[in-house]
Amino acid sequence: MKTILAVDDSATMREMVAFVLESAGYRVIEAEDGAQGLDRATTTSCDLVITDQNMPNMDGLTLVRSLRELRDYKNIPILLLTTESSDSMKAQGRAAGATGWLVKPFDPATLLEVVQKVLR
Amino acid sequence: MEEKNSPKPDARDAAQAADLLVTVAATLNDRLALTADELARSQVLLREASSELMTAFRGAADRLVAAQKSGARQAAPKEVEYEVVLDHLYRAVQHLQSHDLVNQLIDAQKLRVDKMREKLGEAISLSKPPVADPAQAEQWIERSRAMLDCIVEGISQIDDDARQPKSDRKHAGSVDLF
Repeated sequence: MKTILAVDDSATMREMVAFVLESAGYRVIEAEDGAQGLDRATTTSCDLVITDQNMPNMDGLTLVRSLRELRDYKNIPILLLTTESSDSMKAQGRAAGATGWLVKPFDPATLLEVVQKVLR
Repeated sequence: MEEKNSPKPDARDAAQAADLLVTVAATLNDRLALTADELARSQVLLREASSELMTAFRGAADRLVAAQKSGARQAAPKEVEYEVVLDHLYRAVQHLQSHDLVNQLIDAQKLRVDKMREKLGEAISLSKPPVADPAQAEQWIERSRAMLDCIVEGISQIDDDARQPKSDRKHAGSVDLF
């Protein structure tokens, strides 16, 4: 079973992401900000990270950069799931090493399609 | 020779302008207090509704996921029914996210309003101490300038801590794979 780390400061959003992914058979672990996400990622082996951008303590882009510095996360897909939709932010995401960018509110079927695609 | 404390015409004008600024700041602060109150009430109503919806959603979602994990899906009377329920829950997921985003928007607006009220209050407090020499226009002008600086600072800092959702309907749900 693939393990996915969902990082978002909104408990509702984490719950929505977790439900959709668990209903498709994935195991989901959660973190409420970038710092906690980084901590979880280093203590648990994850196959995919889905993170929000605007969070306290550590934002999503910083989390992506920090994860990419870890040997275990050099090639693990990382998706930004955020309300930010500007081209400049997406460019920053790409430069940071993110695999993709999804804009909230997400469509569950689309999220699952993307997850399946990046996990292939 | 004029007495030191009898205001000259230009000092009177400057004093009136300073008073007007206080009135404007106080009126604006009162209106923002009302706005803050209405935002707080809206948020309470939305939170209560969201909480009820989440409870209902959680109940259905937990049962569905548990049934799937325990392999009960095969034992269900109709697989079609499972898919239908899942489809309904997926649709709920989209709308519950919107509730959450609206909550975050209200949070950001409340923060802005509170920050501006704080600065307006600070500006009004600058008008409290008596002017050392009311006959000097410069002193009134200096006071008005200090109040305006405070208000302008409030306006320039209004977005500093607000982390409101920025997406619009046009981009909602969009995907870019790099």
